[in-house]
Amino acid sequence: MQEEEEFIQQLLNPKTQNEAFQKLLLTYQRPLYNHIRNLVLNHDDTDDVLQNTFIKIFQNLKNFKRESKLFSWMYRIATNEALTFLNQKAKKGGITSETLQNKTIDNLKSDSYFDGNEIQIKLQKAIVALPEKQQLVFKMKYFEELKYEEISEILGTSVGALKASYHHAVKKIEAFVTSN
Amino acid sequence: MKAFKLENEPKIESGFKIPEHYFENFSEKLMHKLPENEPKVISLFQKNKKIFMMVAAVLIIALLVPVLYTSTVNVNSKEIDTATLESYLSYQSNINQYDLINGLETDEINNINTTIALEDATIEDILVSNANLEHLIME
Repeated sequence: MQEEEEFIQQLLNPKTQNEAFQKLLLTYQRPLYNHIRNLVLNHDDTDDVLQNTFIKIFQNLKNFKRESKLFSWMYRIATNEALTFLNQKAKKGGITSETLQNKTIDNLKSDSYFDGNEIQIKLQKAIVALPEKQQLVFKMKYFEELKYEEISEILGTSVGALKASYHHAVKKIEAFVTSN
Repeated sequence: MKAFKLENEPKIESGFKIPEHYFENFSEKLMHKLPENEPKVISLFQKNKKIFMMVAAVLIIALLVPVLYTSTVNVNSKEIDTATLESYLSYQSNINQYDLINGLETDEINNINTTIALEDATIEDILVSNANLEHLIME
């Protein structure tokens, strides 16, 4: 915690800011990329959202209240950016976010940055059918392997509620894959 | 059909691939996109706003003082200065000399009608030295 506070101070100090931000980028660009990619599904959109996320992080560092860890705060920004992006993209196309994601999954087969088979496509389709919160919890737990405590800090939901959400998500996914 | 159980299956990876060297280029690309922390441009006026306002206030007061002072002097003064009175009587009014005399008390008239005692020699001297006066007498 002490170390993190020192790092935040470096990020806020104009003299050390650039160097510290580069360090932050190197540490978090991969996990945040994976998190966003799991939400928006294609690489180009992920690239856009990831850039916006880091720009927002940079601009809002001075407002970071230390109520949570820097890691959770950045994940929260990335999640919000990705969900906003999906909603805006769906709105532009005049479709729902679920329809948009289904279309994106259909396009995954021809996506050069997707190396998956039928079961992976089916799993993605099963996830899209879930309520938004369950989708988030499932992706963060199953693909990103985050701890419940970490997800709890990011999403602001209790560990108990998260465990219940994950359990429901798994049941629905298993039912979807079995019947399709 | 056999029921699908997630926990019985080997971990299913997301299958997402990342372009080669993406992260190496990403940080460089992003660092250029970050808004620079340029110092805020504050105009000279804004910076010294207080001082400007104070100077302006002092100037306004300084300019107002003579205006206010003279206007109060004029309002309070009941006496008309001699030059104004003279010029009014000479050019603006219909009052002639007789009207003026009528307006004066006897004592005042007597004061004006003081006889000037002049020696004959003095009158002669004046007439000799002023040729113009001679012409006047002749006429």
